[in-house]
Amino acid sequence: MAEQAQVRAPHVQHHFASSDQQFDSAKMGMWVFLFTEIAFFGGLFVAYIIFRAWNPELFTLAATQLSTPLGATNTLVLIASSLTVALAIRAIQTDKKRQSIILLLSTVGLAMVFMIIKAFEYAEKFAKGIAPGAYYTYEGIAHESASVFFSIYYMMTGLHALHVVIGIGILLWIAWKVHRNHFSSEYYTPVEISGLYWHLVDVIWIFLFPLLYLIE
Amino acid sequence: MSSHSHHIIPFRTLVATGLALTVLTILTVGVYYIDFPDPINIIVALSIAVVKATLVGAIFMGLYWDDKFNTLILLMAFLFFFVFVGITLLDTMFRDPSIIVY
Repeated sequence: MAEQAQVRAPHVQHHFASSDQQFDSAKMGMWVFLFTEIAFFGGLFVAYIIFRAWNPELFTLAATQLSTPLGATNTLVLIASSLTVALAIRAIQTDKKRQSIILLLSTVGLAMVFMIIKAFEYAEKFAKGIAPGAYYTYEGIAHESASVFFSIYYMMTGLHALHVVIGIGILLWIAWKVHRNHFSSEYYTPVEISGLYWHLVDVIWIFLFPLLYLIE
Repeated sequence: MSSHSHHIIPFRTLVATGLALTVLTILTVGVYYIDFPDPINIIVALSIAVVKATLVGAIFMGLYWDDKFNTLILLMAFLFFFVFVGITLLDTMFRDPSIIVY
């Protein structure tokens, strides 16, 4: 009965025994969600592996259409954004709210830089007629299934970009809630699990970059 | 109680991880311009990617200090993926030649 006599922090919901248990449960729930995300992208990675095994020469030819400097820049931008979000979590853990907001907004800024670079890459391809699926009209690649590579490219990078856009929304919402004093060193679970999501988006790009841009 | 779940990662560790990831990105691009023969280049590029992903998972996502059950969930996701790849390739790599390949 001693436990029940303790004063419960306002953020602890009635079905949890303690703040720590609530935190651990939320975090584990997020990892289960990340499992489903890996399964989601996993399907596309399987498609990539099958089509590359069937047409190795197509992948070598088609990858020359992708800009390695732009892909590498975007990789560095996402790594920097992972660092800023990790520092934002550290800042809220030590009650530095202003610093946490600045770091969260820096992450959003870097995510927008990523999207702008991606938009330039897509625009340059669309202008050439390198569009997904049936809309593919480019004739510069001497391979009968040239459109297959770009369908995979657009599906993988498009789904990833959708995650970046959703991430921008989540991080802005978290920054707003930090500003409204919802979080402190006592309770910062949503900041930490949003960070987990953002890092997963980075990890997926870490694999997409060599698989799409660095084929020789 | 669960002190593991409230580890505050040192500032220097986070910055060092960011720098290591930057160096590995430059390395993977550098290796791309060196022409390794065919299977080796994919193995090198993917090995660097796995090291980078491990750094992000262990340090940035805090798995190193976290409840090991969360690491298990992540490893199960990769196990599931490898089963998915393996069984699918058993089909697609050994098809009857009369089936059209796209």
